[in-house]
Amino acid sequence: MRNSAELTRREFIVKSVTAISAVYIIPDLIPKAVAAKPLDLEVSAKTKWAINVDVNKCVDGCTACVEACVDENGLYGFDRPETDSQWIRKLQIKDIKTDKVTTLPMMCQHCENPPCVDVCPTGASFRREDGIVMVNQHTCIGCRYCMMACPFKARSFVHENLTEQVTSAPRGKGCVESCNLCVNRIDHGSETTACEEACMKEGHHAITFGDLADPNSRVSLAMQAKPSRRLREDLKLKQRVTYSGF
Amino acid sequence: MDKITFTKFIIDPKIFWSNFILLGIFILIGFGCSHYMELEGHYVTGMNNQIVWGLPHIFAVLLIVIASGVLNIASISSVFDKKLYKPLAPLSALLAISFLIAGLAILVLDLGRPNRLIVAMTTYNFVSIFSWNIFLYSGFAVVLAAYIWTMLDREVNKYSKFMGTFAFGWRIILTTGTGSIFGFLVAREAYSTAILAPLFIVMSLLYGTAVYYLVLRIISKFHNTYIPKDVLDNLKKLSVMFLFANLYFLGLYHVTNMYIAKHWDFEIFILSSGGIYTLSFWLGQVIIGIVLPIIILSSNKFGTHLALTIASFLILLGSFIAMYVIIIGGQAYPLTIFPDHIIIDSSFYDNVVHSYIPSIYEFGLGIGGVALALIITLIGIANFKFLPTMISSSHSSEPSDKTTGS
Amino acid sequence: MSQLTKILAISIMVFIPISSYSHDDGKHSLIGESKADKLDQCVEPTEVMQKEHFEFLYHQRENTVEKGIRTKNHSLANCIDCHVSHDEKGKAIPVNAEGQFCQTCHVKTAVNIDCFSCHATVPRDNSSKIKSTGHNQNIHIESTANNLVEYYKETNYEK
Repeated sequence: MRNSAELTRREFIVKSVTAISAVYIIPDLIPKAVAAKPLDLEVSAKTKWAINVDVNKCVDGCTACVEACVDENGLYGFDRPETDSQWIRKLQIKDIKTDKVTTLPMMCQHCENPPCVDVCPTGASFRREDGIVMVNQHTCIGCRYCMMACPFKARSFVHENLTEQVTSAPRGKGCVESCNLCVNRIDHGSETTACEEACMKEGHHAITFGDLADPNSRVSLAMQAKPSRRLREDLKLKQRVTYSGF
Repeated sequence: MDKITFTKFIIDPKIFWSNFILLGIFILIGFGCSHYMELEGHYVTGMNNQIVWGLPHIFAVLLIVIASGVLNIASISSVFDKKLYKPLAPLSALLAISFLIAGLAILVLDLGRPNRLIVAMTTYNFVSIFSWNIFLYSGFAVVLAAYIWTMLDREVNKYSKFMGTFAFGWRIILTTGTGSIFGFLVAREAYSTAILAPLFIVMSLLYGTAVYYLVLRIISKFHNTYIPKDVLDNLKKLSVMFLFANLYFLGLYHVTNMYIAKHWDFEIFILSSGGIYTLSFWLGQVIIGIVLPIIILSSNKFGTHLALTIASFLILLGSFIAMYVIIIGGQAYPLTIFPDHIIIDSSFYDNVVHSYIPSIYEFGLGIGGVALALIITLIGIANFKFLPTMISSSHSSEPSDKTTGS
Repeated sequence: MSQLTKILAISIMVFIPISSYSHDDGKHSLIGESKADKLDQCVEPTEVMQKEHFEFLYHQRENTVEKGIRTKNHSLANCIDCHVSHDEKGKAIPVNAEGQFCQTCHVKTAVNIDCFSCHATVPRDNSSKIKSTGHNQNIHIESTANNLVEYYKETNYEK
């Protein structure tokens, strides 16, 4: 189904994933620099993963975070934009009063009171102790009630048979999926998600990831530096993803 | 009480088997469609990441709502002690059970992973209204089975009133639960209101009565029986009452939504600018589903039978469109992620009214479900004594309506 | 429908203690060679692995998904790393392909594997290659890590 141009793209992807995996997925090779949690330790509420987005630094037309997410999690589509998965997407919004145009990335907001977790009949949609909201695809029955409940349209349903999954992000037909803050990388000691890393490499630094519980983490510092807000604050969902600058 | 005797559905085997095979074919088509959807993935359907619930859910929710509503007749007879309806009660309970099973079957076969049904039945998240509904639905089937037993077996007949009342309470909670599936969705402007629960209850009352009447009418065509005039008059009165209740709650739902400032845009969308959804709302849900039936049932130009038949058809047509407006219309309107902002550009359709074109597979699955409900009823009445030998009139003894079975 | 049959088959296999087919020679798959072929036993004694590998995987998957435990011994990714066969060109053959490690046995015992509708069937991104050129890779990692640190410094969060 794919043409040759895309095949070379895939090669590129494989190569870049290899490079990334050299750093993050094979922790025993890495010097102590980023070893946060021993592999056999349960995650706990002492860690509070969070993302802050500074919309003023986000550049219109740049989709580095989206591409990095696709590469990291193997979200290769079928050229069917209505059914293909999108874990992170770029939006352009305009303020009704001031006509100010803002561009920003939109992904799972990792609520502390997530509606998707409340409505899931089997408990497959769950919130990990460290605040990552994700889908346990072993118990997801594909009812899509969480997609109905999410105020941010963060979830995608896998509409077809997949074959090109990457090891670090298993995903398959008939289950719902969404941004999981690169849980595999994070658990293996990475201090950055694919989207943040890509944004940094572009030199934009709009996305900041880190541990809210640590006052000196990048995300804590970013949030201290600028006032930030959550989307749809009226719903009181206490998202871990916050936006600064609009 | 003792005067009522029940009989099996006595019918020409040829007619029985031809109906049985016809329904069977539809059921097979339904299974085939669901299997294909499961094999290929949901991209073959009209559903996508924007409209996540489609035609199968319209069918399923409608059948479940009808299942609860069709129990009206039994409830009236045992809870409110209307002797008139006693003979009709067992059939009512049977219809409830078969529509419930059919609705659930559609719901399950549309899952992304129907093979994990065992997971859904063993792992529960008790915060989820969906989980509660799984209990409500399966419990309802058990309660109904017990209720039918108490009605048909003379030895336990004395518990019939108790079971009837129990089933009545259960069905009210069940429909509240079904309405709450939507009512608890705070994210979507169409749904986040508690009025959906009573709205679903009055809808169930109306649609259930219409289905019951039509089924009774079809049975009376084949089974040499007649429906006495006061039953008809009563059904007519009930239908008109339910129609007005529907109109009232529908109005209340939209007025409430209009008072919630954040939902104002959605109301404008459904009521005036939503294209197909606005048309469906006004023409389908309101005019065909409510206004026309009221006019037909209130005018004296038609015979009671004809008026009820036409009205019931219109009500069911309207019910389908009403579900379309509620389920699809509610999702079609884009989410308000950024209040005070408009979304100019998105790769994920955040800024457009979503369209939904159902595929033949979803339709096949839905029709298969309806056929399943009917075939269960057919098998039920043909093998067990559900039908009264004579529907006696409590007030007048002479058969007054002539349009009875052939 | 076929799914229901599969569920039935799986439940039968789970509830009836089975002695899987014998494991007499060292080679696991019919085509190609894997790392596992050269080892005496898996992470547990062979007999235990034959009968209980699914229990291990099941236990591990709960721990990993829900609790974020990423130990390697019983992880599916690690199974695949070791048990995957490579063809003459050194390219990994999917473990669930015909004649391969998982499939050979599961076909014989008629147990459907549901893992690979979601999980990758070849090792994570040529990790074997990385190990062979370990030294160069280490330098690369250092530089990447340093780059990241630079990025953090450049940001103006201290203000």
